[in-house]
Amino acid sequence: MQKQNEFIEIIKQNEGIIFKVTLVYSSNKEEQKDLYQEIVYQLWKSFDSFRNESKMSTWLYRIALNTSITHLKNEKRNGNRVSIDKILLNMSDQNDTLIEERVKVLYDHIKELNTIEKGIILLYLEGKNYDDISIITGFSTTNVGTRLARIKQKLKAQIIK
Amino acid sequence: MKILWDEMSIEVNKQKLLTDKLILQMTQERFNNRIRSISIPETIGSIFCFAIAFYILVNFNKLDTWYFLASGIYTVAYFLVIPILVLMAIKKMKKVNFGNNNFKQTLLDFAKGKNQFFFVQKISLYLSAGLIVTSLILAGKILSDKDIFMENGTVWFWYIPLMVTFLFFFSSWGLKHYRNKAKQAENLLKDLENEENN
Repeated sequence: MQKQNEFIEIIKQNEGIIFKVTLVYSSNKEEQKDLYQEIVYQLWKSFDSFRNESKMSTWLYRIALNTSITHLKNEKRNGNRVSIDKILLNMSDQNDTLIEERVKVLYDHIKELNTIEKGIILLYLEGKNYDDISIITGFSTTNVGTRLARIKQKLKAQIIK
Repeated sequence: MKILWDEMSIEVNKQKLLTDKLILQMTQERFNNRIRSISIPETIGSIFCFAIAFYILVNFNKLDTWYFLASGIYTVAYFLVIPILVLMAIKKMKKVNFGNNNFKQTLLDFAKGKNQFFFVQKISLYLSAGLIVTSLILAGKILSDKDIFMENGTVWFWYIPLMVTFLFFFSSWGLKHYRNKAKQAENLLKDLENEENN
């Protein structure tokens, strides 16, 4: 019971992170809902490994990214989903329209990147430094730097276009 | 870009919409769905293949010429080996360790698993061309004790062109699909393996 409460608390504190990851790695609402639920499930499944060793944010990003890249798109045999419509893509109710529009453009550009690039830029935008990104992704710090420079160039070129 | 992301993050973090009940429901629903989704399609497909192989093996004594025997062996091998290879490849893809692996290792494992799966699918597609012929030969013999090569019927005239046409369209669609998917996995692997060269 204590484990369950602890888990619920962590998810509630970090629902924003899960939301952002799902938005980057899905192409429509349905996929996003499915991925969101899958991430929560995978987090619950590996909750013990977090309790035993790793840092909370490393564990959370690692599971969320690993789940996103292996999640089968357009999977039609997922069965029922919990209704989480309210959580997803409802920012417009509360947000400034201009910010919302700019965020949408930013997401659209990020979505054009490949699987690896999406993960790295997401971590960078989340404020992670090269060492943290290296720990989460498994790429060397130097390689993270090289990749980030390339991603920034790519995004710049996309935005100018 | 970073400023915009931070602004958005503040807004997203304000949205506290998950409830305790919803979180528990998510893990429970997903667990139930998983049990259903993994077991049913793969199990039904495999049982179907194994049942056909078993049926041919039970009637193996009816196969009294070299071409019946060759067809029998080919078909049984196809229905036994292919499902096992497919199930093994799927198992490999699903076995990826989310908790302990980092992003790069997960990508590597998954791309390798995918490649293996596409390879098996491609092989089974090629082998299915032979299966079209052997299944007709075996069906005639086992089900009605007829030797299709000795009969004067017209079955070959319509069956072979029909099946060749079907196979042509089916395989061009299938191979194109696998080629694209395999190429994506291949590119990803290449990118990961060249990492330290950058």
